[in-house]
Amino acid sequence: MSPGADERDDAALLRAVARGDEQSLATLYDRHAGWLTVRMSRRCAMPDVVDHAVQDTFLALWQKAGAYRGGGDVAAFIWGIGIRRLIDAIRRDTGARRWPPWRAAKPEVVVSAEDQVLAGIEHGRLGQALATLSPELRGAIEATVLDGLTCAEAGVLLGVAEGTVKSRCHRARVALRAALADQQAGPQERAYRQKVWGTS
Amino acid sequence: MDEMTLNVTAVAVRADGLSRRYGATRALDEVGLNLERGITGLLGPNGAGKTTLLSILATVSEPDAGRVSVFGLDPRDGAERVEIRRRLGYLPQDLGYHRHFTVAAFLDYVAILKEITGRRDRAEEVARVLAAIGLEDRARTRIRALSGGMRQRLGIAQALLGRPDLLILDEPTAGLDPEQRLRFRELLSDLPGNPVIVLSTHQADDIAAICPQVIVLLQGRVHFAGTPAGLAATAAGRVWAANERDARAHLSWRGADNRWRHVGDRPPDDAELVPPTVEDGYLLLSHAAGAR
Amino acid sequence: MTSSLPGPAGPAAGADGHAGEDLLAGYAAGTLQTIEVWSVEAHLTGCAGCRSALSAQVDTERLARNRSVLLARAALGDGGRARRLLGRCGLPEHLLRLLGATPSLRRSWLLSVLGVLAVVAGEAAAVKYGWIPGGGPGRLAGYRDPAVVAPFLLLAPLLVLAGVAAAFLPMFDPAYRLAVAAPFSGFTLLLVRTLSALTAALVPVIAAAFLLPGPGWLPVALLLPSLALCAFALAAATVMGPRAAAVTAGVLWAVPVLLLATTHGPLPIVQRNAQFACAAVLCASAVVLLARRDRFEWGWMR
Repeated sequence: MSPGADERDDAALLRAVARGDEQSLATLYDRHAGWLTVRMSRRCAMPDVVDHAVQDTFLALWQKAGAYRGGGDVAAFIWGIGIRRLIDAIRRDTGARRWPPWRAAKPEVVVSAEDQVLAGIEHGRLGQALATLSPELRGAIEATVLDGLTCAEAGVLLGVAEGTVKSRCHRARVALRAALADQQAGPQERAYRQKVWGTS
Repeated sequence: MDEMTLNVTAVAVRADGLSRRYGATRALDEVGLNLERGITGLLGPNGAGKTTLLSILATVSEPDAGRVSVFGLDPRDGAERVEIRRRLGYLPQDLGYHRHFTVAAFLDYVAILKEITGRRDRAEEVARVLAAIGLEDRARTRIRALSGGMRQRLGIAQALLGRPDLLILDEPTAGLDPEQRLRFRELLSDLPGNPVIVLSTHQADDIAAICPQVIVLLQGRVHFAGTPAGLAATAAGRVWAANERDARAHLSWRGADNRWRHVGDRPPDDAELVPPTVEDGYLLLSHAAGAR
Repeated sequence: MTSSLPGPAGPAAGADGHAGEDLLAGYAAGTLQTIEVWSVEAHLTGCAGCRSALSAQVDTERLARNRSVLLARAALGDGGRARRLLGRCGLPEHLLRLLGATPSLRRSWLLSVLGVLAVVAGEAAAVKYGWIPGGGPGRLAGYRDPAVVAPFLLLAPLLVLAGVAAAFLPMFDPAYRLAVAAPFSGFTLLLVRTLSALTAALVPVIAAAFLLPGPGWLPVALLLPSLALCAFALAAATVMGPRAAAVTAGVLWAVPVLLLATTHGPLPIVQRNAQFACAAVLCASAVVLLARRDRFEWGWMR
């Protein structure tokens, strides 16, 4: 970042961008492009496509900064735009072979005892439950729940048909529920389960 | 083109017997040259035919006589001419600009003319050349708001679009201040792909600083082709420094060290022989050509 | 959107609730487990400090490259509303960008055309609607005052010709030598520019013709003469050079119109025989133009 870096908060920068201030766009880029690139790279292993998606995201900000209504984190707003630009970029690239978006080559390791102590029991249990899922099921859950994509969009991201995404989500939820069924759930986890599959 | 890949030191651009008249004036008279990859300087006064020669090499005008071969291609053949233009970057003298265009829009326009049709590819190329000549902050400035030096840099930038193999620059350093000239020299030595670069100038110090090869063009004819050291050497034994003016010398002027410098055939009294510079060689050649 | 996963209390938490350096490095490298990744991502959404710490882990050259491409694309913009509209009709974007260099499509030019039309057609329209009294010699049966349309008949096709001339004459393109030295086909460039200039000029001219007194077919009757004039200018340019061709075309229209206006009245210039003549000129010019189109690849600098 340049010396004398911009002290304005992200919302102020977005307002400046909406007015056509290019410098503010550059500052927003400097602040957010790094994590955006990493987060997108976790979902798409082709760096060219990720580069295009990052550019398109900030271009979309440049053109539509006025759509930000001031509620919630700017980062979440940017990710909401970004994930859809990523899907568009992947769609445009459908000619090329699509690599699996997760590093499926690495075998899952059981969460270590130390981590469990750090984490608190709920997390460790959820992590262990997730670890029992196959990579495809995990990917489906991540796309629909974490990223909030529709099944069609998730299909583009994962390189499968929409129906496949739906059935994988269903199987994932069933498996997670089974893995956690016989354990005591704390309040945080109950809220999470409510969110993921609608019951605790 | 097969010759090129087999023999890396082959001459890339060849011209033979080029002649061109404008009305009664002979702009070029039986000009021949061989250009290799790297920078070649074309040195000559205004009206010597440099612009005419460069516009012929750039396939913008046609000679009355003679042949040109660029990377083995002949500009007289339609398809080959287009192929030459694909590998060409050209900065004409006194280039005009659409004044309402912004810097980025102008570069985008030239990129389309260079057949870079994809939107994203064009943006990447525009970004690349803007960074190369240091005008990124001015991407949205309208050209009519640019200074002369910036416009010149913009002209150089458009020539760089598309990574040309042949870069023809007509008076590229005109209007640039010394610092910009320095950056221009660095830019030229850093170009990817080691293209053939030919630039014209009427200032000898540009040549001395960047061009490993120089061609001196006077009154439409080539009077020297070789290295700058060779050009300087043509004046060996005929350059003196003295404390006073000498009327018999071809040329004399007060140099930077506050002494008079004479270029001529006869040594003035109490003058000492000094090693010749590129400029001395050029001046001697000009004088000889003028005397003819 | 982003779910409310267990946030900072998850494994992403260091002692102060922020993601540790190792965790961020693991996230950037893709070595974390799923639940850790989810926690990190949820945390990052709310924490600017960890976001910049993560940025430091990303390849700076890649970020810089994307930054400059982004700023270049932002600087280029999308060309404006008109281009967006035309783009959606299926016209290729790069051809639309080329039109930006055509003077006859700029606002200033179009306003001048409208200005001239307003003067020329305005007077005639005023007569038609009775705002000013008409009258004069050379009345033809059925029409009130054909002499009134004479200025319009003279100037309207010339306005179209001027628009087309501005699109192809080198003197109107300051960066002309760049266009010549570039691989893009000179003929395609010419067609793109002249066709768009033609359309941009014909629309106001024909619209103004509706305001005029006189026969109802007058607006349509202007089409062929205008097209013929422009085609002739282009074809003649391959023979006598662009400037001479444009001037010749203008003279070849102006002289007959002026002669007729002072004798019989100007209408014959757009009546049947003249229309046939214009059609013939148009076809002949089109043939010549196509046959000699590589003349445009060399430019006019021979």
